[in-house]
Amino acid sequence: MIKFEKVSKVFLGDFVALENINLLIKKGEFVSIVGHSGAGKTTLLKLIYAEEQPTSGKVYFKDRDVSTIKKKHVPYFRRNIGMVFQDFKLLSEKTVFENVAYALEVAGKSNQEISEEVPGILDIVGLSNKMEKYPEQLSGGEQQKVSMARALIHCPSVIIADEPTGNLDPTSSWEIVQLLIKINGMGTTVILATHDKEVVNKANKRVVVLEKGKIASDIKKGKYTV
Amino acid sequence: MKFLKIWRTFKEGLKNFSRHWWLSFATIIILTLSLYVVSVAALLGIAANSIIKNIQDKINISVYFNPEVSEKEILKIKDDLKIYQEIKSVEYISQNQALDEFVASENNDPIINQALEEIDENPLLSSLVITAHNPNQYEIIAQAVEGSGFRDKINQINYEKNKATIENLNKIVGLTEKAGLILGTIFLLIAVLITFNTIRLNMYSRKKEFEIMRLVGASNLYVQMPSIFEGIFYGICAAVSAMAFLLITARLIAPLTKGALQEGDLLSFCFQYFWIIFAGIIMLGIILGMVSSFIAIRRYLKI
Repeated sequence: MIKFEKVSKVFLGDFVALENINLLIKKGEFVSIVGHSGAGKTTLLKLIYAEEQPTSGKVYFKDRDVSTIKKKHVPYFRRNIGMVFQDFKLLSEKTVFENVAYALEVAGKSNQEISEEVPGILDIVGLSNKMEKYPEQLSGGEQQKVSMARALIHCPSVIIADEPTGNLDPTSSWEIVQLLIKINGMGTTVILATHDKEVVNKANKRVVVLEKGKIASDIKKGKYTV
Repeated sequence: MKFLKIWRTFKEGLKNFSRHWWLSFATIIILTLSLYVVSVAALLGIAANSIIKNIQDKINISVYFNPEVSEKEILKIKDDLKIYQEIKSVEYISQNQALDEFVASENNDPIINQALEEIDENPLLSSLVITAHNPNQYEIIAQAVEGSGFRDKINQINYEKNKATIENLNKIVGLTEKAGLILGTIFLLIAVLITFNTIRLNMYSRKKEFEIMRLVGASNLYVQMPSIFEGIFYGICAAVSAMAFLLITARLIAPLTKGALQEGDLLSFCFQYFWIIFAGIIMLGIILGMVSSFIAIRRYLKI
C-alpha cells in the first residue's frame, strides 16, 4: 500500500533527515514508527501525505509515485489519508461539529450528507454529547478525538498519526490508541509515529525504529526498544 | 456543486468578517483613508480640469471692423472664417449690440449715458468674436486673420491684449494635467501598498488556520475564497465611508469653487456625478481588497 524505495531527505544546510529508507507497509497493517526527537519520524510521514518531497528515491501510495502528484491535486490526494497531529490542529473558531463537517464541506458534500455523517462519526469517538462545544472547552483527549473523527470522516484507507498522544495524560493516551486499534480492526491501515513507550508496548504491533534518519530495526510484533 | 462551494465560502467570509470585527474595522479604516486620498486627488483633478475648461470657454479674441464696413460684408467674412478647423464658433456683434452690452456692463451709469448722448453717435465698432477649440490655437487664428484678404477692413484685433492671459492659461492647463497625473499615481501606489500590508498582517494572524484547512484536504482556492470575499466586503464598506468623507470635503470646499464650475460648485458637481464617482470608488475598493487578499494569502498556501 505504501512503499519507500531508497528514500533520502536532505534539508537546507545539509541536514540529513532520512537516509536510504526502504519500507513496505501493507494494507490493513498497524505500524508504529518510533525513535527519539529528530530521528526523522515526522519527515517520513510528511513524505506520505506530500507535504515534503524526497531528495532522492521514491514514495509510492497505492502504487502511485507521490512525487508525480501535481500541486493542485494534492488536496484531493489528501482526502485518501486521515491525519492526526500532536497539537490536534483544530479550527478554534469552529465547534466540534463544524470542525468535522469542514472536511466534508471542502469535498463538496451536501448539507444533508454532512448532517447525517458527522453525528455518526462523533458517536464512534464518544463525543456525540459535545457537538456544539468549541475546542477550547474540551480536554486534550477530547480534542484529539475530534481530530480523529475529522480524520475518519472520509473513510480513508490510511490513518497517519503523528505523536497523537504527545500532549495527553496516560489515560487519554490509551483511549486514543484503543481507538486507533479499533479503526485498524475495521480494515484501515494505521501509521503511528510516537516516542511513547507505554503506547507502543500496549499496542503490541509492528514497530519500526528510526535512528538518525535510518531504519535501525523493523519487528513484526515488537516492543519499544530505543 | 460549484455554487454550493461558492455559497459556503461566501458565508465563511462573512463569518470571518464579523468574527474578527476589530481586525476588519482596522483594515476598513486604512482602506477608507487610501480610497479617500485617491478619490480626493482624482476629484480635484477633474474639478480643476472643469474649472479650466470653463475659463477656456470664456476666452476669445475679437476682431473689430472699420465703421464703413457693412454688416453684409462682415457676415460674409464670418462665413469664411467658419471653414477653419481650429475655430469653434464665430459670433457677430453689431455696433448697436456692442453699445447695449457696454451700457449694461456699466450698470446704466448716468455719466456714461450723458457722455454718449453728447457724442451723439455710436463710438463702438462692429466685431466678430472668435472662440477656438483649444486656447493654444489663438495665435494661429490671429495670424490667419492678420494675413487675410480682408486685413484692410479690420480696425483692431485684441489678441495681443489677451495674449498673456491665454499663454498663462495654457501653462496652467499643462501643469495641472501633469501634476494631477503624477500625484494621482503616487497616491494610488501608496494606497495599494498600505492596503496590501494591512491585509497581509490580517492574513498573517490566521496562517495556522490556513495550514489546517490545507491539511484537511481543502483546495487552495477553497481556502482563498473566504478571504477574497472578506476583501470584497472591506472594499465595499471602505468605499461607502470614503464616499461619505468625500461629500463632506466637497461641502467644505464648495464655497471656494462657487461659479468656477459649470455645474455650480464642487458639491453640486459631486451630486451630479454621484453614481459615476461612487461606482469608481467601489470598483477601486473591491479590486484593492480582493487582489491584496488574494496575494497575501498565497504565501501561506505554498503555491
